[in-house]
Amino acid sequence: MSPSAPTITVRSRATWAAARAALILLRARAILVLVLLVILFSVLAPEFFTANNLSILTKHVSITALMAVAMTFCVLTGGIDLSVGSVAGLAGMVAGYLLTQGLWFGGAAHYPPVVVVILLGLLAGLLVGVLNGWLVAHAGVAPFIATLGTLYIARGAAMLISNGKTFPELGGSAARGNMGFPAFGESSWLHIPTPVWMMLAMFAVAWVVAAKTPFGRHVYAIGGNERAARLAGIRVAQVKIVTYVFSSIGAALVGLIIAAQLESAHPATGESFELNAIAAVVLGGTSLMGGRGSVTGSLIGAFVIGVLADGLVMLGVSEFWQMVIKGIVIVVAVGLDQLQARLQARILPFLTTANTEAGR
Amino acid sequence: MNQADASAQEIILQARNITKLYPGLIALDDVTFSVYRGQVNVLIGENGAGKSTLMRILAGVESCDAGELLLEGRRINLGSARDASAHGISIVHQELLALTNLNIRDNVFAGRELRRAACFVNRRAEDLRANAALSRLRMPMEVATETSRLSLGCRQVVEIARALDQGARILILDEPTSALSTSEAESLFDVIADLKRAGVTIIYISHRLHELLHLGDRFTVLRSGRMVGEAARAGVDRQWIVERMSGRKEWSADAEQPVSSSKPPVLAVNGLNLLPSSGDEAAQAALHDVSFSLKEGEILGIYGLLGAGRTELLETIAGLRQMDSGEVRLNGRLLHIGSVRSALKAGILLMPEDRQRDGLFPDLSIRENMAMAATRGLFLSRGEETKRVNEIAGELHIATRNMELPITTLSGGNQQKALLARCLMCAPAVLLMDEPTRGVDVGAKAEIYTILRELAVKGLSVIFASSEIEETRALAHRVLVLCQGTISAEFTHDAFTDEDLFAAASPSVPVHLKSPLPLSNLEGSV
Repeated sequence: MSPSAPTITVRSRATWAAARAALILLRARAILVLVLLVILFSVLAPEFFTANNLSILTKHVSITALMAVAMTFCVLTGGIDLSVGSVAGLAGMVAGYLLTQGLWFGGAAHYPPVVVVILLGLLAGLLVGVLNGWLVAHAGVAPFIATLGTLYIARGAAMLISNGKTFPELGGSAARGNMGFPAFGESSWLHIPTPVWMMLAMFAVAWVVAAKTPFGRHVYAIGGNERAARLAGIRVAQVKIVTYVFSSIGAALVGLIIAAQLESAHPATGESFELNAIAAVVLGGTSLMGGRGSVTGSLIGAFVIGVLADGLVMLGVSEFWQMVIKGIVIVVAVGLDQLQARLQARILPFLTTANTEAGR
Repeated sequence: MNQADASAQEIILQARNITKLYPGLIALDDVTFSVYRGQVNVLIGENGAGKSTLMRILAGVESCDAGELLLEGRRINLGSARDASAHGISIVHQELLALTNLNIRDNVFAGRELRRAACFVNRRAEDLRANAALSRLRMPMEVATETSRLSLGCRQVVEIARALDQGARILILDEPTSALSTSEAESLFDVIADLKRAGVTIIYISHRLHELLHLGDRFTVLRSGRMVGEAARAGVDRQWIVERMSGRKEWSADAEQPVSSSKPPVLAVNGLNLLPSSGDEAAQAALHDVSFSLKEGEILGIYGLLGAGRTELLETIAGLRQMDSGEVRLNGRLLHIGSVRSALKAGILLMPEDRQRDGLFPDLSIRENMAMAATRGLFLSRGEETKRVNEIAGELHIATRNMELPITTLSGGNQQKALLARCLMCAPAVLLMDEPTRGVDVGAKAEIYTILRELAVKGLSVIFASSEIEETRALAHRVLVLCQGTISAEFTHDAFTDEDLFAAASPSVPVHLKSPLPLSNLEGSV
């Protein structure tokens, strides 16, 4: 087909330009929605756009963002991780147990230092991630089912650790040599709270992995066409396992942060967090079918959800209406995603500046 | 063909002065396409010539920007596929759209179920009509059979039955034989002849010239969105078609001889056995005691009918299937091929048969698709990768403006070359190709043959499997014929006739006693 059209009409050239503009707007929709929400809330609630409030807001967002960014990879392979909320609860309970009960061996309780507590909390998450990955990649269980199973297993395990009770006072004591755990969630550096730093670090790592490493490309390849990926010599099972482990570690971090912030570990912590995380990933434009999306999108998606929630609270909108509005935003976002995909399929062949890697 | 000379001249459907614009290009430019009643109207053109667009307009799936459709002299407007079938125009798509999870009856009536008491499916009436349509095609089948258990040929028949039951008077077949074995294609030709006798008008699209010359009554050629030739069968020969399609004179596509003579074998396969299995994903034909060797710089063709084990043999060597016994040696060293990856590391790569299903990453760019198999290590090196991809794209003449565009923007031939580039970037010792030019137009086909010959001269060893006699003849230095999982014959280039090849590939007990496709019609090779 001839790439240059000699007799193309003015009308069709105009519609093409419009389609192009629409596509650019649609691609940037998450950030546009975010900016619009910030402007809206700043106008309606004067105290919204203040340094103090933005700091609190970012701290709230970091919880969802850590989970969402970490989960993005397994969604990109065409999977999903429903277990993240439970993993957060489990990791918090592991930390709570170690800080308050210690480890019994040699006839006495030994209290590990805070660094070890945190590492063991992350290890608990890692193990659930390995189980998820093994179930999906080797046992062939559908990701939705496999992680639904581990959602219950991890939650049950969290309950079993304390028989359903809360571990209070995680501040530790000088005598046990395990003070300082709350700083994991409450301290700040350069006036920026620690969880926000963790979110930024997580994002930086995830972005580099997605855009700059063969691993990242393999993730996109598996989500795009798993059979072709296998034939290209990609270790499909191994890549999948790593994505689930990454997701679980993000979730475990969240659990530890919450336990540190509250200075107590409650086994029900993180219930339904997975829904927020998935919503953020989807808002960010990642396709649940896999192969398309970005970690940047997930970060922005988490901000949209966080700004919406905090802003509506400040405006005094009832909790019930908040849920309705959040639901509408998610559904509209996914609708726009479909629109973008259709428009893109139509006009991308004719763009010379397109780049599939842009914005990963 | 003497029965209806008068009506043979009658135009039943005409697409007049059709123009279709896509943003930035003209897919169809003032095309007038006439369909003659009761004839096989052949539409020919390279990939991207606008055939499919024209057919989508005739089938009501797409609208045109200018021009009109005349059915029996009256102007019609087709807003949807439903409109088209109401006018008696039906299309059987290239990619069969059969709902494989449903049975034959449900497929024939999907979306237009017969009803009883307004809300229940009238299964008995559906059975009757589905049976009637199938027996009209002389292919009686149990209508409760799930279509996933049918061969591709039978699925095609089901689609045609669906079209007939809708009362199709004009049937569009878009590359119907691209997925069929020779024998399946033959029975399709019988079906077409029957339909023609029954007065159904056929529009037939294919890349396979011998088929077109065998079947066609009227020929129309499209090139770059323009109509460049129209003639009745009497005025058409191979040369005529090829010249108009490509806009150049016929090329010579016969393999230049000679090859490697005393070179040591690169690959040796000994006593390879594969047990058969059924089931949807893992279904495979058996292989019995397959042994052969491959020399450096040799192009070895594996010819066989559908189900002979061609794909299974290649996939086993490539590590996609686990052999039950036997050994594979590369340069004398015994290989333990446990996975695609281990084969790839040893230097054996497979280019799959089904590009869309097993080859392409539709969301990724041309560059990323090409570099995929060679991507290793901890970090990507964007600059070096771009350089290598551009180099190899230049060598293979991959026609694109920008390597960052999605792979789906390439034509079929260029996609195939991109997949070849993916394999070559891994510097393979042995390249396995399953149907190397499936769904590729004639021009790109010749180009791929030339590339492979050049690579072979440089020392690459190639094994390709093909169901096309022409291709096997054009490309192979040596041919192995597979029949029911066993090597039934071996020929060196030029030492066989088409009949030899066909006879060796056919099981000793004839599957059917119909006269086979007249081989004299093959008229050389593409």
